[in-house]
Amino acid sequence: MTGPLAALPDEELSVLDLADRLLNRGVVITGEATISVAGVDLIYLGLNVILAATESIAQLEARKK
Amino acid sequence: MTRLLAHAITRRATGGPEAGIRGRPLEQIAAGELGLWATIWDGEPTLSRDDAFAHHDLVAVLCDAGPCLPVRFGTWLADAEAARRSLEAEQDRYVAAVDRLADRREIAVTLLWQDAPRTEGRGHAVAPSGRAFLERRRAANAVTDERRKAGEAFAARLAADLAVDQADVRHESCPSAEVALSMSLLAGRDEADALKARATVAAGAINGVRAVVSGPWPPYSFTEELGNGRG
Repeated sequence: MTGPLAALPDEELSVLDLADRLLNRGVVITGEATISVAGVDLIYLGLNVILAATESIAQLEARKK
Repeated sequence: MTRLLAHAITRRATGGPEAGIRGRPLEQIAAGELGLWATIWDGEPTLSRDDAFAHHDLVAVLCDAGPCLPVRFGTWLADAEAARRSLEAEQDRYVAAVDRLADRREIAVTLLWQDAPRTEGRGHAVAPSGRAFLERRRAANAVTDERRKAGEAFAARLAADLAVDQADVRHESCPSAEVALSMSLLAGRDEADALKARATVAAGAINGVRAVVSGPWPPYSFTEELGNGRG
């Protein structure tokens, strides 16, 4: 496996899987509710955002050097 | 400014913890037969990764207390009256969904390609010609189609091996370059661990992928008719 998920242990992948569900699934309340996760740090938040997260990590590491 | 951060919908008689996220007050706003559990939130509505998992912990406690519908993380309501109006507007559908999901739990099966293609960077040292670009895109699409078919075949195989009812399965093939299949299975609370064990064996027998089986969790993926838009 060559992608960024390959290095992660099963436990961390499970956490990412759960994060995907928390962000993308569950009842969307109709009417007067709004959905916003503004301010959430997306690094390692979910499987579907891992590529963006990896870029962010790379950028952070580049900035440190 | 005070807002409400929603967590779950339960029968109104269902009990729950006293504290919500970050130790803030938790309230059940009742309307008809239902109650919406929400953290009372003073200040800026910014959330952290830890808040997402605290929401999960809270929903899990509520689902252990009785039938419940998990609400998508990050759902805000202006006040208790807005929550009541939202519950009343969809009362029949929510009641039916609470009854349908009852004490059921979700098991997640994720299959990762063992030879996932490396994702290209955003820039190129030398810009490709138009023809090279089109050929590269055609090749990438062919791989994607092939992988999507394989992902669908994995889903069919798992559903057959596990003998689960079609209504109790949701799946998505190739949601990202590295993931072949993301599948959710629904099971009664008492059967969830046994289903997880069987899914671990069945998914582990599929060649060419790494299987990760997780849960049991609240049934996040089985609320799509109530507006989650996926399945």
